[in-house]
Amino acid sequence: MNNLKKVVLAEDNSTLSLLLKFRLEKEGYELLIAENGKEAIELIETHEPQLILTDIMMPFISGLEVISHVRNKLKVQTPIIVFSAAGQEEMVLKAFNLGANDFMGKPFSPNELVIRVKRLLA
Amino acid sequence: MIDFQHLLAYFEQLPLLVKAVWILIGLLIIFIILLIFYLKYLRGYLRKKEAISKMLFTEYEANLINFLYSQTEEEINEEQQIIVDKIKTSITNKFKRKIFISVMSKLKNDISGEMADSINNLYIKTNLINHSIAKLKSNKWYVITAGIKELNLFEITNVFEQVKKHENHPKQEVRNEVQLYFVSLFHFKGLDFLNTLKSSISEWNQIQLLEILQKFDDQEISDITPWLKSGNESVVLFSLKLAKIYNQFQIIDTLLELLNHQSKIIRLKTIEVLNYFQVNEAKKILKNNFKNSSEDEQIAFFQMLENTVEIADEEFIVLNTKHVNFQVRVLALKILKRLNNEKLLDLKNNAANDEDKLIFNYLENN
Amino acid sequence: MDSSTVRIILLIIHYLFFIYAFSVVASYILLAIISAIESFHYMKKNSFVNYNEILSSNISPSISIIAPAYNESLNIVENVRSLLSNHYVNYDVIVVNDGSKDDSLDKLIEAYDLVKIDYLINPQIKTQPLRNGIFKSTNPAFEKLIVIDKENGGKADALNFGLNISNNQYVVCIDVDCLLLEDSLQKMIKPFLEVTDSKVIASGGVIRIANSCTIKEGKLLDVNLPKKFIEISQILEYLRSFLLGRMAWSRLNGLLVISGAFGMFEKKSAIAVGGYDTNTVGEDMEIIVRMRRHMEEQKVNYKVAYIPDPLCWTEAPDNYKILISQRNRWTRGTIEVLKKHRKIGFNPKYNLLGMLSYPYWFFYERLAPIIEVVGIIYFIILVTLKNVRWDYAFAFFLLAYLFSVFFTIVAILSEELTYHQYKKKKTGFKLIVATFLEPFILHPAILFAAIKGNIDYYFNKKLKWGEMKRKGLSN
Repeated sequence: MNNLKKVVLAEDNSTLSLLLKFRLEKEGYELLIAENGKEAIELIETHEPQLILTDIMMPFISGLEVISHVRNKLKVQTPIIVFSAAGQEEMVLKAFNLGANDFMGKPFSPNELVIRVKRLLA
Repeated sequence: MIDFQHLLAYFEQLPLLVKAVWILIGLLIIFIILLIFYLKYLRGYLRKKEAISKMLFTEYEANLINFLYSQTEEEINEEQQIIVDKIKTSITNKFKRKIFISVMSKLKNDISGEMADSINNLYIKTNLINHSIAKLKSNKWYVITAGIKELNLFEITNVFEQVKKHENHPKQEVRNEVQLYFVSLFHFKGLDFLNTLKSSISEWNQIQLLEILQKFDDQEISDITPWLKSGNESVVLFSLKLAKIYNQFQIIDTLLELLNHQSKIIRLKTIEVLNYFQVNEAKKILKNNFKNSSEDEQIAFFQMLENTVEIADEEFIVLNTKHVNFQVRVLALKILKRLNNEKLLDLKNNAANDEDKLIFNYLENN
Repeated sequence: MDSSTVRIILLIIHYLFFIYAFSVVASYILLAIISAIESFHYMKKNSFVNYNEILSSNISPSISIIAPAYNESLNIVENVRSLLSNHYVNYDVIVVNDGSKDDSLDKLIEAYDLVKIDYLINPQIKTQPLRNGIFKSTNPAFEKLIVIDKENGGKADALNFGLNISNNQYVVCIDVDCLLLEDSLQKMIKPFLEVTDSKVIASGGVIRIANSCTIKEGKLLDVNLPKKFIEISQILEYLRSFLLGRMAWSRLNGLLVISGAFGMFEKKSAIAVGGYDTNTVGEDMEIIVRMRRHMEEQKVNYKVAYIPDPLCWTEAPDNYKILISQRNRWTRGTIEVLKKHRKIGFNPKYNLLGMLSYPYWFFYERLAPIIEVVGIIYFIILVTLKNVRWDYAFAFFLLAYLFSVFFTIVAILSEELTYHQYKKKKTGFKLIVATFLEPFILHPAILFAAIKGNIDYYFNKKLKWGEMKRKGLSN
């Protein structure tokens, strides 16, 4: 049976997704990748992951709406890490107000992301 | 069977104009046929090119990620060297190099840290750096720009002199790219070009420069006073932005001087910065200049008063509740509400027209 | 009149026709060449630009998207969602519900958690008053949205209301059913920010035809060639006009019109000239001419910019009735604008605007349908008088037809060499077929619409007002 912790990653930069997938799978997590907010929500509803990583600027539904959907509509407390190129206070505040647990501005170090992931899933 | 002789005879006897028309018709038919064939060829070629691009992109993506994951120590190990060699043999033409660079850029733009350094290393080890440096010597401006951009992206600092040669290039795009290079790689020290810059920096480039600078530690910023006094107006405007973003309180005296600058937009931006610093001394100067300044400056001054108003300003404020400009009136009344609500109610009861009544009603509830 | 005078008159008429036709062709070729050069430069200039830096900056200028809506209940929630998902940071979306008789407002209130708010309006331009009020969302994810519900006043009036409301530096005026790509705002604002020696007063974009394209939830997923020839012909027309025409005018800085479906202005400049004119059906062209005139009179160095990138996608008419109605309105708009600003025509005080742009628009856009119809009538008269050399006539018609085909193929090639939006197989073939058929399919309809437009303009005054009030802003 699959005891691996599931992580949903919503990111429209395919190269970055691939990189993070490798890195996180090496650490023992199962990665589900979405290219946009809509796919992300579908994956979250189907697989009920233990962690959600999402970019803010995405096609269809933005990362902020993903957070809002998870906290307000699905009403679950799954840890959420948000990252975005628009790394200003406004975006960070909104993300935290909506219920995100952690935030990393792009460009970020994948190694550091892994550390934070481990911390949240410990 | 077409009777060629008859046709020719017919043609010969046509008036000149009609002859010309038929010749043109013939030419057009030929052109149209040629263009249709070219179109078919072009579409096929573009389709093929896109398929190959996708394939190469995926291949290079895999190569890059394998390279990054095989990293064990600082120096490149054997496994990585194999990947490097494989890539080197592949990127033999401009098309492939362009794709490989785009794969690396796509990733590099979003990540930092050790992995980012590895990517830079890969760029050097695959000799792409030599191609970028070669681009600097081109006489086509867009090639030079591409070269500088690549050297910038992969953080190659030791080509500084070669890049600097283009700092006064006649094309704005090249100059911009050089400036971005300076600032990305040398942070605040890279702004030294402002000392001697004769050309204008566009708003677009100013924003780009500031965005890059904001990633670095602002302790490094040097004295911006000389730039505020520059004869180059775009340098002054840029420095005003710097003053605000980096909280350069110490230059307030220089800012006060700028309130009398000949350029309206500099005066305007100065008021905004003084507003941000909430400099009371500015009020006296601005009040003196008030009657003669432009409406934009007057509005900006009132926005400043919102943050710096004192009781002594009340008379000035009340006077301007009748100002001809709507925004000034609203701001004056808004400030008055905080300062002396009774006076505001007094004015309300004497309100002349409907428009002002709307403002009073709005202020009552907000 | 004796026969030799008649002959001379006829000869003069013939010469005039030829000169006109020849100059039309020459101008098309010249404009196409200039467009090609400008496109080349534009692509080189922007092929490597990283727009991400500008979009994520909070120092980047503020933009308001103003989208008037009239009876758009069917799609309005999705359209607004699309506008809200732009990647620019510093912007808001002002939807102006222009006295719609349907439930647009209710749908928006429900979808976006809107509540009515107090808002102090700066009445810089006179407009129709508010109806149900001004609304904002209680959900921070939709903070960028402002919805205005006002009494009907037409598209220009709604846009003016938006201008009054906006607190931002730049405004983008679009049709609410236009699909904007995510990076449109950064691309549109670039011209305003990258000039150093002149002022950009407006930038206009290309309208791409969305018919048959796959659009889901406000996002363009796939570009397909439409099925009907009437739709494909319009694509050809747009390609010619945008890629081979407007690029050139932009380079010459003689652009007289920015598409009403998608244009960006500096808000202050737009308000300074008094906003949109509610008395014309050609308000998009009219405001540009007025703004240009204003700048010429101020003797300030200025530019009207143009972005050829495919950023805005909208549905084009798919049947003749709507198409003719649309072109009729465009014709009347052109006549109205040219008439209103006739003072600048051939007036050296207005430089290029008066000496080149206006005359060109007058002779080659406004008069062209009339001259063509006169030519046809003349030809019919000749036929009835049995005074026609059929072989000559055939040659001339064939030449005109082939030139049109040739020019259109050049336009298709330009598209392939620049944006290459129609990648699927067989679309090339369909485009070529449409090219050969267009002079028989589309052109007669457009000619008819233009003539009807002229007739309606001169003889049917009440049509103007009724239409605007009823339709609001149909395309």
